[in-house]
Amino acid sequence: MKKGNDHGKHKYGMVIDIDKCTGCGTCMVACAAENNVSVRADQSDKERTITWMRLYKISNGKEFPHTEVSYFPRPCMHCDHHPPCVSVCVATATKLDFNTGIVSQIYTRCIGCRYCQAACPYGARYFNWWDAFPQDKGMDRYLTPEVSPRMRGVVEKCTFCHHRLMRAKTLAYAEDRRELEEGEYVTACTEACPAQAITFGDLNNPEHEVSKLIKHPFTFRLLERIGTEPKVYYHSSRDWVRKLGDNFLPGEYTPVVNKTWAEEEWSTKPGRDEF
Amino acid sequence: MKLTRRNFIAAVIGGVAGIQATPLPWKLTDDVAIWTQNWPWVPVPPTGEFAEVSSVCNLCPGGCGIAVKKVDERAIKIEGRTDYPVNPGGICPVGMGGLQLLYDESLRFTGPMKRAGLRGAGQFTEISWGEAFDIVAGRISTLRKKGMPEAIAAVDGNPEGTTVSALIKRLMRAMGSPNYVRPPSITDTYRMGNLLMQGTLSPMAYDLENSDYVLSFGAGLLEGWGAPGRVMNAWGMWHDGNPSKRKTRIVQVESRASNTASKADMWVAPRPGTDGALALGLAHVIIKSGQYDARFVAEHSSGFDDWRSLEGTTHTGFKRLVLEKYSPEQVAKITGVNPKTIVSLAKGFASAKAPVAVYGKGKDSLNGSLYEFMAVQSLNALVGSINRSGGVLLPDPIPLSNLPILKVDAIASEGLKKPRLDQAGTMRYPFTDSLINNFTDAINNSPKSPVDTLLVFSANPFFTLPDGGGFKNALEKIPFIVSFSPYRDETANMADLILPDCTYLEKINDTVWPTGLQYPLYGLSKPVVEPLYNTRNTGDVVIELSRAIGESVGAGFPWENFEEALQARAKGLFDAGGGLVSYDSDAPAWQRKTAGKGPKPGYKSFDEMWEEMQSGGMWYRPVSSPKSWKGLFNTPSGKFEFSSKLIAQAIEDYSNKISKKAALKNMSLAAIDDEACMAHYEAPKAGADSSAYPLRMLPYEMMNLASGWIPSPPFLYKTIFENQLLKDKSFAAVNPKTAAKYNLKEGELVAVKSPVGELQVRINLFEGAMPGIVYLPLGFGHTAYDEFLKGKGVNPNNIVQAGQDPISGYPVWWNTPVKLVKV
Repeated sequence: MKKGNDHGKHKYGMVIDIDKCTGCGTCMVACAAENNVSVRADQSDKERTITWMRLYKISNGKEFPHTEVSYFPRPCMHCDHHPPCVSVCVATATKLDFNTGIVSQIYTRCIGCRYCQAACPYGARYFNWWDAFPQDKGMDRYLTPEVSPRMRGVVEKCTFCHHRLMRAKTLAYAEDRRELEEGEYVTACTEACPAQAITFGDLNNPEHEVSKLIKHPFTFRLLERIGTEPKVYYHSSRDWVRKLGDNFLPGEYTPVVNKTWAEEEWSTKPGRDEF
Repeated sequence: MKLTRRNFIAAVIGGVAGIQATPLPWKLTDDVAIWTQNWPWVPVPPTGEFAEVSSVCNLCPGGCGIAVKKVDERAIKIEGRTDYPVNPGGICPVGMGGLQLLYDESLRFTGPMKRAGLRGAGQFTEISWGEAFDIVAGRISTLRKKGMPEAIAAVDGNPEGTTVSALIKRLMRAMGSPNYVRPPSITDTYRMGNLLMQGTLSPMAYDLENSDYVLSFGAGLLEGWGAPGRVMNAWGMWHDGNPSKRKTRIVQVESRASNTASKADMWVAPRPGTDGALALGLAHVIIKSGQYDARFVAEHSSGFDDWRSLEGTTHTGFKRLVLEKYSPEQVAKITGVNPKTIVSLAKGFASAKAPVAVYGKGKDSLNGSLYEFMAVQSLNALVGSINRSGGVLLPDPIPLSNLPILKVDAIASEGLKKPRLDQAGTMRYPFTDSLINNFTDAINNSPKSPVDTLLVFSANPFFTLPDGGGFKNALEKIPFIVSFSPYRDETANMADLILPDCTYLEKINDTVWPTGLQYPLYGLSKPVVEPLYNTRNTGDVVIELSRAIGESVGAGFPWENFEEALQARAKGLFDAGGGLVSYDSDAPAWQRKTAGKGPKPGYKSFDEMWEEMQSGGMWYRPVSSPKSWKGLFNTPSGKFEFSSKLIAQAIEDYSNKISKKAALKNMSLAAIDDEACMAHYEAPKAGADSSAYPLRMLPYEMMNLASGWIPSPPFLYKTIFENQLLKDKSFAAVNPKTAAKYNLKEGELVAVKSPVGELQVRINLFEGAMPGIVYLPLGFGHTAYDEFLKGKGVNPNNIVQAGQDPISGYPVWWNTPVKLVKV
């Protein structure tokens, strides 16, 4: 038996630039279309509607006219250190693949106990309360054969478009290559973002853009302090956005830089110019 | 054995322990899991050959390039194209969900149909195409025989300049009706403003990508303005991960903390409808500090300084008007913006290298105000950003061939002499092409509808017009309505006859010059899949209909089919030469090339060009060097006109006909003389008593909800927040202070009442809402389509009380007085 997390060659992850993110929701729609995610008549009940990628709207809470809104696009974080969903799964239906860093979900093993859903700190898991597709409307005609549609009674979540990794690998093998180039495997949301806010790549490969971006002082993760080591990073030049990435007690958060150009010049705190 | 307490406990404990030891519960759980996973109704998508088809999205006038993935004959995913100049790779959420508009059968008409139930009930029976043509052609021929072709009217929502739109216009002329109307859009405001100030007829061309200071007056850059794929791509470029490397500043002028306002570098919030005053305030600071481009003003503009006419009267120039009336303090009173902000904004704008002021009102699907546009454009002129890289470019019109001259018969020429119902183009609205709100009023105000047969193309005016439900009433009065919509929308449900179009993924069609793009582009979309149902491309249907009517009408359409008509127009693109039909993402079309450099077209003949266009879907000319100033402005003065001579002339002509007072009143003008010819601010007339209706309602648009005639793909409702739509109730965004005044809490149900109607919504307390304004989202409140869209929220258009914009006559939809009443 293998001991601990020895990590294979690859550790896929993404950096989402909140400054670039326009809150348009294309990532959500692209994800749903790519992964045969079900649609229902009432999608306003956010505990029932399935959104592997979901936008959370945040606000700086200041009074008019100093209010600002922003968005956290939230896929599965693909936690790298003891993913809470994996350790609770009684059916071994979800596991962390040490060779890719992807937290998988195997629908045919899932017994629908929803333990993982309760364990996930990010609310990234969804339960199929109903059959996926409205019958007799012809909507099953746009389903892709690359992703199996889920049945009632199982939990599903973002897979980092695992089928795209399979596709990219098959292509590479056909060309007699064993390794993928940067950009050969990206998720549907990465590809779809019209503002190029999402960067996807191998965090273990120092040449990849993502592994450079995560070193930036503006880069942070959601609920970083619970120690699950998410592989989804966020990047924002706005301090109030970064502050909302975790539940800080008063005075606990150290600002990096806090001004926009209209108010004052950029801060010259160390770190900014090194990048 | 006797049942004792001891025995009983032993049995229970033994049983529980025993079951743990047997495989039974585990086996059962496993079986249940396996059983549920083998339900026969869980779809198993058939696999097959994977392919990708390139096309152009037609869902909005933006025309982004799309790559549709297919498995055998099924389309399975839409993605953005990286080999298309408008949107290098990205598309908007509506375009992304487009396959649901193709495959959701209950959204669509599956063949030509006749109304079976009451109007609006959406009950139809299928008929054949032959029968459908007989009915329409018979009706039209009868009207023509009776000598009243003007009783045929058309509402055309296809973007201006597209071939299908040109054919519809032609059909109307051939039949002999002047009553061709279009839903208003921001491009109408651009067209009019450019005509008056620059004398140019090309579409608005903002060189955003090359600008270093984008000052947007109300344009929803991130709400779907222009070509969303283009603007959002630019947004990504502008926001380099390292803020110190960011070259472009974005300032958003808007009353609500929209996505654009929040994500911009700076947000300035004037009261709704006062953007023009703010622009003039900036002009004041720029002129006073001498930061304006004196060379442009002196050499290429007229009406800046005071001047003396030939008769000897002194006229006020733009400079004096602005210096006298629009000091930061005066503007602060109108707009509510701090004078200091006005000064710093003006300084920032004037000291940028390539600033551009963009005008808009949310997306581009609703009109703006003429004088506001003129104020913003004056600002561009003042800093010399006209015909300069990074500013407003003045490209030549797209060189499409004109259709052959139409010969109309005696009936038609009589009909065309009749006045238009909407009075567009008359002395009252001299520069306006089409005024659908007047058209509606003309029907509603006469005892018998002057329109006998209404043809509706690619439009859903029942839902999209900001007219307080006026168009719906008009529809009820019109004896016969024909809809060409592919979708079961509100207007189509009122129709007597449906001649369904194919959806955009099933037909050949063109897009002409996406809104706001700085270079000419002609997009050609092609059928991605064969038509799923018994529907036909409206382009073909118009040609067939002309034949069914026969006589001179049919003779006006010499093309075999729509594709031939498209080719006939595209011929001009070949003749003009130099257009590219393929795109290399390493050479963005907005990057300025030195003359003679850059990619060259590879085709030699028209057929070759057309073939390449069919596969690539594009013809465009990359941005070239600024044009020679000679003959650039086709205004009466030959220069950029701060003070429009055309307006002066129009007011004078109209005043000579009726009295000056009556003329100004009819044109909705408060200003007189020289001021009326220049950008200026006029407070819109109060539509109602402000003590009865103390608040104002402002409809707002979102990128992730279609508010035009296209239904929203059901996927989009996943992106709507629960404080925007909850079950069947949509939300009004209200500032907490305003809500506190009426003792309203988050989520509380209220009625928003205007003088023309009321809507029930829930309250969303939003700090980013301007106090005193009630913001209602556009795109909810459908009464048609299927369970995904129907009965969700309310449509703010139903309570809009719109006045008329001075000169243009377009609806002032941003100024509805309302009150909030607890339910």
